[in-house]
Amino acid sequence: MLSRVADSLYWMARYLERGEHTARLVAVKLESMVEQTREDADASWHRVVEAVSAGESAPKAHDAYIITQTLAFNRVNPSSLVSSLRFARDNARQVREHLSTEVWEHLNKLYLRLLPVTTDAVWSHSPERIFREALEDFHTLQGVVLSTLTHNEGYHFLQLGRYIERAQLISRLLDLHFRSQPGKPTPKYFDWLVLLKFCCAFEPYSRAYTASIRPERIAQFLIFDPEFPHSVRFAVDRVVDSLSRVAPAAPPARRATVERLAGKLKAAVDFGQVEDLMSGAIVPFLADITHQCEQIHEAVHVSYISYGAETVL
Amino acid sequence: MQHEALAHTEDFGGPDHHLPSHPCIPGKDVPYQHYALGRAYDEMFTREGQVHPHYGSLDGRLTTLPPDELLRRQQACEQTFLHQGITFTVYSDNQATERIIPTDLLPRIVTAREWARVEAGLKQRIAALNMFLRDIYGDARVLRDGIVPRSMIYGSKHYRREMRGLAVPHGAYVNVCGSDLIRDETGDFVVLEDNLRVPSGVSYMLANREVVRRAFPAVFRSMGVRAIEHYPNELLNTLRSLAPFHEDVSIAVLTPGVFNSAYFEHAFLARQMGVELVEGRDLLVNDNVVYTRTTSGLKRIDVIYRRIDDDFIDPLIFRDDSALGVPGLFNAYRAGNVTLANALGTGVADDKAIYAYVPRLIRYYLSEEPILGSVETFLCREVSSLSHVLANLDKLVVKAVGESGGYGMLVGPHASQKERDDFAQKIKADPDNYIAQPTIQLSTAPTFVDGGVEARHVDLRPFILHGEQTTIVPGALTRVALKRGSLVVNSSQGGGSKDTWVLSE
Repeated sequence: MLSRVADSLYWMARYLERGEHTARLVAVKLESMVEQTREDADASWHRVVEAVSAGESAPKAHDAYIITQTLAFNRVNPSSLVSSLRFARDNARQVREHLSTEVWEHLNKLYLRLLPVTTDAVWSHSPERIFREALEDFHTLQGVVLSTLTHNEGYHFLQLGRYIERAQLISRLLDLHFRSQPGKPTPKYFDWLVLLKFCCAFEPYSRAYTASIRPERIAQFLIFDPEFPHSVRFAVDRVVDSLSRVAPAAPPARRATVERLAGKLKAAVDFGQVEDLMSGAIVPFLADITHQCEQIHEAVHVSYISYGAETVL
Repeated sequence: MQHEALAHTEDFGGPDHHLPSHPCIPGKDVPYQHYALGRAYDEMFTREGQVHPHYGSLDGRLTTLPPDELLRRQQACEQTFLHQGITFTVYSDNQATERIIPTDLLPRIVTAREWARVEAGLKQRIAALNMFLRDIYGDARVLRDGIVPRSMIYGSKHYRREMRGLAVPHGAYVNVCGSDLIRDETGDFVVLEDNLRVPSGVSYMLANREVVRRAFPAVFRSMGVRAIEHYPNELLNTLRSLAPFHEDVSIAVLTPGVFNSAYFEHAFLARQMGVELVEGRDLLVNDNVVYTRTTSGLKRIDVIYRRIDDDFIDPLIFRDDSALGVPGLFNAYRAGNVTLANALGTGVADDKAIYAYVPRLIRYYLSEEPILGSVETFLCREVSSLSHVLANLDKLVVKAVGESGGYGMLVGPHASQKERDDFAQKIKADPDNYIAQPTIQLSTAPTFVDGGVEARHVDLRPFILHGEQTTIVPGALTRVALKRGSLVVNSSQGGGSKDTWVLSE
């Protein structure tokens, strides 16, 4: 597979995952804000902003309307929902020959539906509805990817991008809840509940642990559960699996770095335990996971995408 | 694919000739009530309004179909194009809108006899043009013998000094040629222009056939229309015959990228041939060998069907601001490790002044008379022509030699006196740079417009493949000026395209 094509597929999947994550965070937040005090709601919105914004583009205000506008519909903000979709679509367009018609059309329709939406138009009643509809479309798109694409190398680059992004997004969200932030109220019962909903985890968590909400159980579930699709460990497993399937004919020497890093990350989530993290070690642990994901991203790029001729001839 | 959309319109065989009791007269009877026969040759009707025999079946269908049925078939065609993504992109307000190229429902029909002459004429022409290119980049005999003035070659902006003395496989410089033909007022095909650089449009020829055949299945079956679907395979064979080595040949289509208006065609041809579609950044050159960068390692490339202009192909040799090209590609080409199709520097043979010399080149290289005529062309560099041109500016079309796409052009009959006077000054200042031709009435063909069938001007662009052998698939892109009376067939200026049926008879 051409390196450029692999790269576009990888980024298409990353942006889709990011867009889906943004849509879910905003939807959950809009649904839950009415039940919080002003101060708690502000702190909670702040975590949402931190979770999906890159530096400068973060909205400064606490106002839900402005935050929604900035995170969802602002076309200038590169980390907004519509920007993520645009980047995903741009990447898809460049490799349309490697996607099925169904995948392209679903993505295209989702983009074209959200592009003209304004915050004004949805704000007056049930603003969360547009995000719930978008989430349905995102989930459908994943199904279409699963069932209409050949599960070849390109598919595994899609999976790789999706799950690297997911591992990082979940890690960041956990970090924002477990890190003590001076001057801000600490997360309360309701915030932990919302955190689970941010990760579509409330029902699966309740089945595993009953509805008794406890931070260390949440950490256990969202970091170490091997079967829940939005846990860090689940995402890492998929990353490792995809890495073993891409670039099948690359010589062992060129695969070595990627494989070593993948094994190291897998060991961290396979053999880590939540008991070791609860004494304040969770924040550096999550930072390390994020860092390792970045290293894998770099190594994939250097080994399979942008390598120079001199390294292989 | 829109098989369902067309299913209810399928006319499963049966007689096509349930003709009405009297013939339908152009300019009078439905559906031809707005069909205007003028000075131009008409593809369907004689000057007296009789249907040419080879349009009989289509006429029978058009005059017996219910009026809204044609409209329904036209819409089914457009749907198919939209869904398959046969579109070009219009950029405005930071957003991209995808539009379809207008395709006309009604086929343009060419008889076997006419086609045989076109085919023979084009083969002759491409043979002479290739010999000419080989000559000017080799011994330059044609210049020494005074057939073509030296200054026209060495002064051309498409002449590539870097190509001097470089041998190309089979001496084939132009591997894919799209020549524009028109009919003069007597109905004879003449060549208007040769496109020897990176001609496009063949994907529309193939896509039009797909949809129009389904719109008129019975007529299509009954007429013995020759197949064109093997074009991608012929193109692949041609490219393969150009490989520097002959084992396990690896071929790629080089595109400027997704923002190019012909990107659909590049992707289409790559897919149809089963070869990789690459951009400049996918290729790299090491030790004068060209590779694509794949996830598993480098893969050698032997033949590149490049859809990038000469200027942008290699920033080390040509334009250094080109981000589309591949540094080092030209040296790999010179070293004979990769073949570029078309070769570089072919543009020197398709400029508007050289056009006037092609009949002489055919006689010079092949000792044959040209089979296809050309449009009478006055070279302002020749003193006698210059005075004729200046005296007849109101009747002529004047074109700047090195320009294309309608730039630097004066259409005498449509210009004001002031425009003509201003242009005359430009011609006098630099006569070498201008040629003039009489205004020609392109032939008209039946076209589906506003629910009726009207006459619109058309040209014909067949595609010639030239490698070890010369192959012309029996078909062409017919471009049509959709505006009434317009002679401009370019898609950028209100032009559309038609399927072209070459009959086997």
